[in-house]
Amino acid sequence: MIKALSDSVRSYPVAPVLVALFVGFSLFSPYFLTTGNIEAMLTANSVVLIASIGMTLVFLMGGIDLSISTVISASAVIAGLVMAASGSVLLGALAAMLVGLCFGLLNGLLIGVLGLTPFITTMATQLIARGVAFVLSKGIAVQGTPYSMMDFGFLSIAGVPAVTWAGLLVVALCLLALTQTDWGRHVMLIGSNRNAARYAGINVRLTEVSVYAVSGVLGGIAGFISIATLGNAIPGVGDTLLLIIIGAVVLGGTTMEGGEGSIARTVLGVGLLSVLISGLNLIGIAFYDQLIIQGLLIFFGTWLSMKLSTRRH
Amino acid sequence: MNGNTTTPLLSFRGLKKSFSGKTVVDGISFDLYPGQVVGLVGENGAGKSTTKNMLCGLLEPTGGQILVDGHVVERNEGHAHGISAVHQELSLFGSLTVAENMCIGSMPGSRLRIDWREMERIVREQLDFLGMDIDPHATVNSLGAGMQQIVEIGKALLHADKVLILDEPTTSLTAVEREKLFLILDKLRDRGIAIVFISHFLEEIYRVCDSYIVLRDGQQVASGQLADVTQRQLEALMVGRSFENSPDTIRPVTGSCEALRVENLGSADFRDISFAVQRGEIVGIAGLMGAGRTEVAEAIFGLRPATGDVHVHGKVVPERSVAGMKRLGVCYLPEDRRVNGLFLNRAVRENLSVAAISRFIRRGLFKLGFSGERQATQAVVDSAGIAIPHINVRVDALSGGNQQKVLLSRWMATEPEVLVLDEPTKGVDIGAKFDIHTRIRELAEHGAAVVVVSSDLPELLQLSHRILVMRKGRLVGEFSREEFDSVRIISLAASVDDKVA
Repeated sequence: MIKALSDSVRSYPVAPVLVALFVGFSLFSPYFLTTGNIEAMLTANSVVLIASIGMTLVFLMGGIDLSISTVISASAVIAGLVMAASGSVLLGALAAMLVGLCFGLLNGLLIGVLGLTPFITTMATQLIARGVAFVLSKGIAVQGTPYSMMDFGFLSIAGVPAVTWAGLLVVALCLLALTQTDWGRHVMLIGSNRNAARYAGINVRLTEVSVYAVSGVLGGIAGFISIATLGNAIPGVGDTLLLIIIGAVVLGGTTMEGGEGSIARTVLGVGLLSVLISGLNLIGIAFYDQLIIQGLLIFFGTWLSMKLSTRRH
Repeated sequence: MNGNTTTPLLSFRGLKKSFSGKTVVDGISFDLYPGQVVGLVGENGAGKSTTKNMLCGLLEPTGGQILVDGHVVERNEGHAHGISAVHQELSLFGSLTVAENMCIGSMPGSRLRIDWREMERIVREQLDFLGMDIDPHATVNSLGAGMQQIVEIGKALLHADKVLILDEPTTSLTAVEREKLFLILDKLRDRGIAIVFISHFLEEIYRVCDSYIVLRDGQQVASGQLADVTQRQLEALMVGRSFENSPDTIRPVTGSCEALRVENLGSADFRDISFAVQRGEIVGIAGLMGAGRTEVAEAIFGLRPATGDVHVHGKVVPERSVAGMKRLGVCYLPEDRRVNGLFLNRAVRENLSVAAISRFIRRGLFKLGFSGERQATQAVVDSAGIAIPHINVRVDALSGGNQQKVLLSRWMATEPEVLVLDEPTKGVDIGAKFDIHTRIRELAEHGAAVVVVSSDLPELLQLSHRILVMRKGRLVGEFSREEFDSVRIISLAASVDDKVA
């Protein structure tokens, strides 16, 4: 019993911290543990959750996708424009995913086939996607979001916001793909040792292209969801999200070296950051002070997961 | 040579070392006299590294006594006591010069200014002492592995010049470089330096050393003069079991049915490579490092671009790739298992099943899941004699021999009919080597065609039906088992007229 508990703490080093913060904030602020606040927290973080899953897949394969933040913006803007023109939410969702797929394939082909470095390549894609978002929207929020889209943002099923359900669906599908299919196994093994994967006969190129493509599509879905949570497609929606996304993944305990980590860890990382931000807001800590605390927490989380993973052998 | 009348430079009495209650070395006692060369041998995990680290003062023993020049010392100060070590992994800065590397521990000159001229003088003197013609201004990267090893020795001797410890110094050296190293060791011995030589290669121990210490499971199981013990006896002492059943003869190939044919393979690294391997045949490829052997093997599997054709079971392979060759029943065990073979931070289970996943699992609903993988890989671990605590342990926690067995078992699982094995026993202990050889023989007896690339000539002589020799990207010779002659093979591989190059 104690061993099982200590094993799970090692696999999920932030779990006890998350519990502690949750309990702590509930005691400190009367507003923290209320239905309204929990729902607000869930709604506000569904975009980050979906994008973090994409980033986790790329990290596990030993890469990085810096473009995911502004792919969110670009796909939100294009989906917004499509919905405004057609009035169809479904067309908007398809457009967002298609835009994400295009950017993801661009990354994947440049990195997997041409062999460019992930960092530089996705940084360039990030710029392009940001440019696309601002050019197409002329720099302002896209008007004409259908009412049904806004309703979707407010919809709650079994006490949980629909956008969160969407996030959880993404989590479940990616979890299945990562842990139960050859594709997922190959992603982990490429992240562990890319050369060895090649020598073992794994199609490294194809897997790399597909992972960046999936990351792009998840960026697209996150962009679409952002319209539901914010009410409009905002061209700058993704600009500040990159570090939160990377922070959540790293804090959860998935390393940037590849081959080590999991989707469940990222879910906990996202949970930790959202509890922290919400709690600090409620006890009245100013935004910029919060940044300092978030930074310190990421130091702590990285140190903790390093400590625990080295002790294992 | 032992000069028993003089006091020993260094003595150990009942040395012991435990880590958090677990004793890894227990009761090491020996004397080291000037000019003595002692071979420290044992399998992986026998305690050689721990002993070495206590010898050079990196680890403090938890029990026993150390005597320097006949006096008991409180702790081993290493350099201050004249003891230096060259560790298995070289510790040179590739982009710095030879002189800078050798003096890096204590630069001549003042705190603010390095006396470059003095440095050059010191280094030249040291290189002259070693009898090596190396330019002190050359960067270390521009030197071959052998020269780097010698720079490392020169550096060690600059700091301390009574006792020199060498840990597996020859693993990355070619035959010629190895000979040069041994000549230097002979010279050092003649000058009264005591040397502790750690090596897996018993042939080298016999070439270099005059006495030996055998460690097994942390215990000193034997020591004495090498002249009094045969290599077989030494092996048996190391492993604790005997290898008398290791066959010197192999079953000849019966019938002829060609499994693999390579025709006119060529690339930037090699030219005009053509050979064929029959079913049931083991063909060795000998040559020096850099002769292009690995490059040829990789080209067969499409890991490197090359012109020419590869035929499997009489049919030409249209597009070469690892996955495609796997489907044809052809597999490649890469040379460097840590770089190209293993997924170090993943479980043994995943490392074993990767090449033939469908043989290990049953797919569930919607073709998902890996059920049965655990039991199936455990069965492989048991039958291959891989020593691991459990199937999900990370593969980097294993010894070299067990890692190599994991890699070999991964490819065995594909039930290959043709195997290309690149340095299959590099850096593994004798026990594992014996097991791997047995397995290769069994495979051939069951009709597989095997190509073994190895720098360990005794291994090829023992294992192969036929040996091909490569030199500078060309096939330069072929020996059938009746014609095997190690001297001829070595001289062909390192032909004299090529030495200048």
